[in-house]
Amino acid sequence: MVLVKNVSKTFGEISAVTEASFAVDQGTLAGMIGSDGAGKTTLLRIIATMIPPTSGSVIVSGMDAVTRRDAVKALLGYMPQRFGLYPDLTVDENLDFFMDIYGLTGAERSRRREKYLGFSHLTPFVRRKAGDLSGGMKQKLALACVLIHQPRLLILDEPTNGVDPVSRQEFWEILAEMKASGMTLLVSTAYLDEGENFDRLVILHKGRILAQGTPEAVCSGYPDLETAMIKRIETVDAGLAEERFAL
Amino acid sequence: MSLKKIGAIARKEYYHLIRDFRSLYLAFFIPLLLILLFGYALSLDVDRIPTAVVDHSKTPESRDFIERLNASLYFDVVAYPVSTEKMTRLIDGNRVVVGIVIPPDWTARLKAEKDAPLQVIIDGSDPNYAGNTRAYLMAVVGERNQNRLLTFLNRRGREPIAVPVEARIRVWFNEALESKNFIVPGIIAIIIMIVGALLTSLVIAREYENGTMETIRSLPVRASEFFFGKALCYWFITLVDVLVAVLMGQVLFGVVMKSNFWLMILASMIYISVALSLGLLISVKTRSQLMANQMAILLTYLPSLLLSDFVFPQQNMPAVLKAVTFAVPATYYIDILNGLYLRHLDFFQMWENFAVLAVMAGILFFLNIRALKKAGL
Repeated sequence: MVLVKNVSKTFGEISAVTEASFAVDQGTLAGMIGSDGAGKTTLLRIIATMIPPTSGSVIVSGMDAVTRRDAVKALLGYMPQRFGLYPDLTVDENLDFFMDIYGLTGAERSRRREKYLGFSHLTPFVRRKAGDLSGGMKQKLALACVLIHQPRLLILDEPTNGVDPVSRQEFWEILAEMKASGMTLLVSTAYLDEGENFDRLVILHKGRILAQGTPEAVCSGYPDLETAMIKRIETVDAGLAEERFAL
Repeated sequence: MSLKKIGAIARKEYYHLIRDFRSLYLAFFIPLLLILLFGYALSLDVDRIPTAVVDHSKTPESRDFIERLNASLYFDVVAYPVSTEKMTRLIDGNRVVVGIVIPPDWTARLKAEKDAPLQVIIDGSDPNYAGNTRAYLMAVVGERNQNRLLTFLNRRGREPIAVPVEARIRVWFNEALESKNFIVPGIIAIIIMIVGALLTSLVIAREYENGTMETIRSLPVRASEFFFGKALCYWFITLVDVLVAVLMGQVLFGVVMKSNFWLMILASMIYISVALSLGLLISVKTRSQLMANQMAILLTYLPSLLLSDFVFPQQNMPAVLKAVTFAVPATYYIDILNGLYLRHLDFFQMWENFAVLAVMAGILFFLNIRALKKAGL
């Protein structure tokens, strides 16, 4: 579904992503794990066609993300880390905006509206302004908006960041449901304990991919994901430090 | 480009506008306030000059002089202080602008056919106003002298003679020389800049500040769709403001648009497009509402007010500033409005102004699209 080949991105002197390559299969829930500033958001934005890579290429469902941007955009949904809806618009109006943009009309429009409002438990709050919703409800509304055009690929940037544990659990259940419906999901997180929920993991550190594979494979030999990641980071940083000394 | 997507963005923008007190205030209250303020306060006419006269002479002749002064629309004798000191105090206290002292022997000297000077003191704080005041006073005194000379000559038994040189002045375009005829078109141009550019300068910056620009970038929305969707709502509001300003100019100030109404609408539409594009460009470049607001005042409102030939005549500007005025869109728009309001020109006499505005709108549209594409749309 998603094929990332040797993708690098530099912003002036700073290189945010270096030579990243990985693949996400159709119908899987892939996780991108890394600390803040690891390059998760940059990489997700490149896949979501929002910024072009400096080098390398991204292929989504057989189409290049740069040259066939419109077609790729039409089949994916991207939910930014920060609440990306209009706080002064009501729940209904935010949904309307997304449905208008994706050209949903008639019976299909009302069917989708019922479906996603119901699934996010927002039906009683349709007239409330998005800015007045609680954190968890905001997140669910954002999810409803991004799902309204039924994307085949869903990209979520740290969706559980700052969400209470109960809502987080609920959120993971929703993601599992969507996976079961055949959707491909690519989710970034800074919480290592969420790593077990993914089919595949991509561990990102300082813009480079440290490891990838199933959670078990990434853990290989270490008691848990956290230890595995810290050990790997230490090894890499030591290597970088030695390189610097050699210079 | 899809009209449905433009419509979707325009609708969303409409919700933002009607729910934001600050925007509503800028869109509807500020234009009304400006028309009233500029229309009533910014009168550049010099008339009814408050005058004080100290009449030491107290004769029918001196009283006749004062009456004539008062009758002349330009002067309004508001005080008759008994002494020069009291008159000075009136000038100091800004109660009057002109003080005239008629000496005790004034009438006697006139009758004796000697020189009969009057002392006149003018407050020169506002040089333009003082200059006009002096000219009016010279005219009043000059006319009096001329009449006296003619009666003197006629009394000497000569046949009645006419004044040899006389300038027969006919003022064109603004016959009554009233500044309101000139101010109303200026206000319309300023209002468009305020509503058009100040208001739109906030709209993309707000998307950045709310984090919604990120969402927009992930949606299948093209730069041109986003641009037109953003502009549409404000374009109509600004057009409504123009109509309100025209109507208020007519009702409150009696400034009537006698020329082709549709030509005025066409010019306004193009000029509004320029103003909106300028505001949106500032917005996408600054990405912060505060910065955008400051930039918009600096780049759109102030030049329109100061450099557009509205308040300060461009003829008197130094060469560098004069060159800058060519880049100020309001210059061309005010020129068109003056052409329509005062000169009754047709399109072919002003097409250059239309063309310049249209080219400006085109360039700004192009720059907007480029900036939006760079921003990830």
